[in-house]
Amino acid sequence: MSEERKNSVTQQAFWAMVQRDLLAQWRDKKEFIFRVGMLPLVLIVVYGYVLPAIGLLPETFPTQMFAGMVGMSILITGIHGTAIPFTMDFNNMHEIEDRLQAPVSRNVVAYAKMLVGIIEAFIGGLIVLPISLIFMGSRLQLGMTAGEIPLLLLVLVLIALASATLGLLVGTVVKPPQIAAMFPGFLMPVVFSGAIFFSWYALDPVPVFQKLVLLNPLVYANEALRYVMTPQIRSMPLGYSLLGLVISSVLMGRWGFKRFHAMVEGDK
Amino acid sequence: MSDLILQVKDLQKTFHLKSGHVVKAVKGISFSVERGEIFGFLGPNGAGKSTSISMLTTQLKPDGGEILLDGDSVLQDPITARSRIGVVAQHNNLDRSLTARENLLFHARYFGMDPVEAEKKADEYLEKFGLTQWQDDYVRGFSGGMAQRLKIARAMMHTPEILFLDEPTTGLDPNYREILWENMLELNRKGTTIFLTTHYMEEPERFCHNIAIVNQGELKAMGTADQLKAMIPSRNILSLKLDKVDDRLVDAAAKLPGVASAKVQNGVLQLYLEGKPDFDGVIRWTEDKQRTLQNISLSTRTLDDVFVYLTGKAMNSAN
Repeated sequence: MSEERKNSVTQQAFWAMVQRDLLAQWRDKKEFIFRVGMLPLVLIVVYGYVLPAIGLLPETFPTQMFAGMVGMSILITGIHGTAIPFTMDFNNMHEIEDRLQAPVSRNVVAYAKMLVGIIEAFIGGLIVLPISLIFMGSRLQLGMTAGEIPLLLLVLVLIALASATLGLLVGTVVKPPQIAAMFPGFLMPVVFSGAIFFSWYALDPVPVFQKLVLLNPLVYANEALRYVMTPQIRSMPLGYSLLGLVISSVLMGRWGFKRFHAMVEGDK
Repeated sequence: MSDLILQVKDLQKTFHLKSGHVVKAVKGISFSVERGEIFGFLGPNGAGKSTSISMLTTQLKPDGGEILLDGDSVLQDPITARSRIGVVAQHNNLDRSLTARENLLFHARYFGMDPVEAEKKADEYLEKFGLTQWQDDYVRGFSGGMAQRLKIARAMMHTPEILFLDEPTTGLDPNYREILWENMLELNRKGTTIFLTTHYMEEPERFCHNIAIVNQGELKAMGTADQLKAMIPSRNILSLKLDKVDDRLVDAAAKLPGVASAKVQNGVLQLYLEGKPDFDGVIRWTEDKQRTLQNISLSTRTLDDVFVYLTGKAMNSAN
């Protein structure tokens, strides 16, 4: 094949692979909404509505956790959206084999899966908005102006990228029998140490924990969102949190692609 | 002059297992396939067939050797190679989220086909493989035979020059195997070269133009079914089931008049005859040797016998 032909086939194959995954997910949309919506719904109802209403948490708590809910939803949905199909396609169903046999670099298969993870991640972030408005609307105090929307978009893109690269890594490491262990073993620690309910600076009294959570990409995601959406709460300087997201994406992406190549063992 | 579509030279693959074991799965195999033929790659489970086909189809990198597709190196440009070959895996790897027709159409797009042509091809192959009435059904409900035919239809969508099939008829009932063979012969008549692996003996004997016999990662013999069978010195084989067989008895049997050679396979003494069988003489001989004859049968040589002759083991017990 000529180089032009290869490029044209690569483009066509990439979009076909993305469309295939979106179609498969669309056919499973009830599962998707349940998977993406349930965790933020439960957390928002309990921590954003019930606990402040009965006086166990302060009235300002919904504002404190709002950015964290958005960040968590994007990150977790993106990881799920990339990792689970990868694991199942590769190990159980072998469905991915037809795509790996396409006359394109096998990286195209991974890029397509990651783009789908990113798209799903954004949908995950959007789902949080109506839930938040319904249950915490009266207590929410956002301090964002329209001029900050481009900055917000940049942050959202970086978070989605971090989630897709993390999803690639998780998807190529975890085997189907281990999926059940992923929730308590991976997602729970990520969620509860991810600066959702607390801002990073609030951890000053527990310095060891404060250092440990820096390993969690969700911390950078939530601190960056907090900086943009609720600036009245003290958060990590934006430069640090953006850098954290970039470093996480690069490290996880490189490691993930290495694992992916080991799995397909074909060409570049 | 022969027109070679596939040339394989000194192909090698070694696996290093976590346990520290080193498995030489393919030990320097060389062969070539002519354009337009049906080529059978024959051997027991574990012979290195699947490893070989994975390397030929760019799924696995060889440790050594060369693969030429119509003269072009597959290892140097696997992407172009993939556009020219079709692959049908042994297991069901159809896309269960899609319907039968969508499986074909998405495959066509992964291969950069023109959409109009893809629709036409999908119609053609669904019709040819008897799947038109199921085209809008999800493939998760398909029977083994239907799935197998759809897998072949999918692999044919981008008009490959050579179609690789890994154990295409394994696990199918005899009726479906016949239908599948009719489909494959039809594709071959239309010009597709077919490369298939199998551990069934009778299929390559009936359908393949050339056959390679592999065992334990090595190529044992190659040729037409008749050429391979001619490696056995006799047409007729007399099998004797005796109460006891030892090396001395085998040596003695080989010296009987009319016997070209003798071997033991699964405890059964096999006499390769030079001419017609002398049942009375053989029965008398077993009595002289004070053995109890439990069963005696005569067969003409088959590929199975060739395999036994080459390896000393029956195909299905050669692991």
